[in-house]
Amino acid sequence: MGRYVLRRLAESVVTFVLVTIVVFAGVRALPGDPARALAGEESDPTTLAQIRKSFGLDEPIPVQYLHYVENALRGDLGRSSRTGLPVATTIREALPVTLQLALFAIVIAGLIGLIAGVVAAVRRRTVAEWAANAVALFGLSVPSFWLGLMAILVFAIAYPVLPASGFVSVFADPVQSFRHLVMPAVVLGSGLAAVIMRQTRSAMIEAMGADYIRTARAKGLGGAQVIIGHALRNSLIVVTTIVGLQLGALISGAVVTEQIFVLPGFGKLTIDAVFTRDYPMIQGVVLVTATAYIGVNLLVDLLYSVIDPRVRVGGGAL
Amino acid sequence: MPRQTPASRLPERQRRALRRSVVLIAVALMLTGCTSISSSSAKPAASDAKAAKAGGTLEVALSAEPDALDPTLARTLVGRTVFTSICEKLYDVDNKLNIVPQLAASLPQFSSDGLTVTIKLRSGVKFADGTTMDATAVKTSLDRDMRLSGSARASELSSVGSVAATDPSTVTIKLKQPFTPLTAILADRSGMVMSPTALKSEGDANFGAHPVCVGPFKFADRVAQDHIDVVKDPNYYDASKVLLDKIQYKIIADSTTRFNNLKSGDVQVLDAVAPTDVAALKADSKLDLLSSDSLGYQGITINLGNVDGVGKPGKPLPASLASPLSADARVRQAFEMSIDRDAINKVVFRGLYSPACGPISPASPFSTPAAQVCPKFDPAGAKALLAQAGVATPVKVSMIIGNTPAAATLGEAIQAEVKEGGFDLRLDPTEFAASLDQTDAGKYQSFQIGWSGRVDPDGNIANFVSTLGSQNNDGYSNSTVDSLLEQARSQADVSARGNLYAQVITQLNKDVPIIYLYRQKNFTGVARTIVGVQVYGDGLLRFKTAGFAA
Repeated sequence: MGRYVLRRLAESVVTFVLVTIVVFAGVRALPGDPARALAGEESDPTTLAQIRKSFGLDEPIPVQYLHYVENALRGDLGRSSRTGLPVATTIREALPVTLQLALFAIVIAGLIGLIAGVVAAVRRRTVAEWAANAVALFGLSVPSFWLGLMAILVFAIAYPVLPASGFVSVFADPVQSFRHLVMPAVVLGSGLAAVIMRQTRSAMIEAMGADYIRTARAKGLGGAQVIIGHALRNSLIVVTTIVGLQLGALISGAVVTEQIFVLPGFGKLTIDAVFTRDYPMIQGVVLVTATAYIGVNLLVDLLYSVIDPRVRVGGGAL
Repeated sequence: MPRQTPASRLPERQRRALRRSVVLIAVALMLTGCTSISSSSAKPAASDAKAAKAGGTLEVALSAEPDALDPTLARTLVGRTVFTSICEKLYDVDNKLNIVPQLAASLPQFSSDGLTVTIKLRSGVKFADGTTMDATAVKTSLDRDMRLSGSARASELSSVGSVAATDPSTVTIKLKQPFTPLTAILADRSGMVMSPTALKSEGDANFGAHPVCVGPFKFADRVAQDHIDVVKDPNYYDASKVLLDKIQYKIIADSTTRFNNLKSGDVQVLDAVAPTDVAALKADSKLDLLSSDSLGYQGITINLGNVDGVGKPGKPLPASLASPLSADARVRQAFEMSIDRDAINKVVFRGLYSPACGPISPASPFSTPAAQVCPKFDPAGAKALLAQAGVATPVKVSMIIGNTPAAATLGEAIQAEVKEGGFDLRLDPTEFAASLDQTDAGKYQSFQIGWSGRVDPDGNIANFVSTLGSQNNDGYSNSTVDSLLEQARSQADVSARGNLYAQVITQLNKDVPIIYLYRQKNFTGVARTIVGVQVYGDGLLRFKTAGFAA
């Protein structure tokens, strides 16, 4: 077991180092000089040389990389070349925004998707199923930037009940947080809601025809108890797997939603950093993302080995 | 000769329809109070002078994220808008773009040889941290501007030899050579005075995260890519005039989202209204439109001899880039004559901007009739000139343009127009940062680019056209222009300088290193509940006396 864990750890470290090298080189391969992007209008050769010097861009790339690794290991991700603020602080402020948005979107998508899916499965060939299908089709086919703009036009401008933009943390003011996040979360969750609805519907239709449902009815259970307690509970396994798989898509979808609703989240941070050639920020963002991915994968691998000893034995034999 | 625009590639029926709609839009603009725009040109734009009450938080949408809020390091235009609230300068501009004292007590005194500048300071001024603003603080700030690694001010202060605090309220600056545009430079970020105490406690790297200067408001909080908060400063020398408790600058990059936020009331002031939103804004009874002429310009820079990069002597372009356009001034004149600036303004910008033919805004006190002379639109004349130059038509030329839809529309309009004059223009849409790289390195034939503009004309001309100028990326060099620009720098008199710049522009019209196309307007949207917002020709929003209507 110890050897297996060590080997997986060593593999993760190698992966991690490779990722940082690829990003470091990749960012520098982008056309566009960061010093020029930073200098904006007021560029002249002397100023550009000064900027390169102050951000260490005049050193050879391998030296820059070593400096970066050295500082990163001490927890210093550098300062944004755009805002001059520490990268670590900026990322720390942006992450909770995206996480709150994604969680809220899952809750909303789950609520809409499950209810619509159950209704569509139970009330087959009725107006209710038709309506639920229409909602699903709408959620899947309408792009989120359009839905977002329409939502703002209706709920913030024509009938101003919700704010058009901005973010308030749920820990600071739950009511304001809800008001600010509800539109973005619905927009972000609309696609997922449609997927959940369709999965729930097919799983429910299958479950409703199963023997145990007939048994449950034969025992004299009421309609609601059969649907919620038996059919839905069994259908949830499929739905949960789907939600897990869609989580990554949800977080990348947040990039667009964050732009439309001006949420200072992780996705917007990444996009803005790329456009302004903010090397320290791009590197910081990728470092955090890579750490999260590698960490989760490592954890899952280790869990597998605990759950199923054959994994580590098989792994050891390779 | 019919006007050639992107419409020229459409079938006749659609072209007629397009022309009709252009006329209709123009008429509609005239009927719907276009006068409020044109009347404000060259004049201050301020929201209504109704009575205002004290208190409240003003929310302002900015079009981009400001960079470091450190006057020494800052480079962005939006950053300057935030600075107007928190960092006052030795000098400022008034509504007619004249330079007036702000933290200084009077305009600077230049010695007769032009090498010594004496600045008297306002007394009783305190920084936001309660410490006193005096000559030593001014010296500390200017020294930092000149020496700090990565300073964005070093090159504009390169004429300064040394700074001395002669007494607590007098600063003496020794210049290496006469340089009267210094006054205008001290009316921008170089003139901002930073608290020496804060510089010491925060350190150079962190000052921009907690800036401390003199201003109606002081820095309170910043969340990257979201907002910057500033609050009323009780230490401010003119605090009795300040009404608002707080201003929140929100960063909203997308113009549609920004406009939606103004309509929904989530923000009360909108910086940089897109021309496409101007009509809708004017039609909204709850909103006001303020406008002022930009001091900058948009144009086409032509590569005449930049082969080895900016700052290196010009030489003939390599075969891959060489064309009659770089070799013969008559070909460039012909190119300019084939452009119909009025049509571009009407078709591409709905007639909201103004055609520009030179680097000095007509709103500037330095403008003269000779500075505004415009080569006439004459495609037939252009063709004749090309024949005279003995070049085969169509002359093939490439132009780097931005990769945005707006840049494409402009590029296509120019392409269609110059075709009529005998040019085959290829457009190369390029991402902005990459385009700057390419053109600095001299790897281009022509480049559609602009300049945001400075109060002093020197800042709009000298760096671009003087030999080896810091932003001369076209490789242009003309000893007459160099000498006239040098003379203008040692002249203090506005009209004498205006005449020298007129001579420069006359020469530029012959050599055509840059074709000036149009001058943007600064459009600001303000909710009618807000009064006292001021926008001058420098395009910055001033909130010192702004407040909610009583």
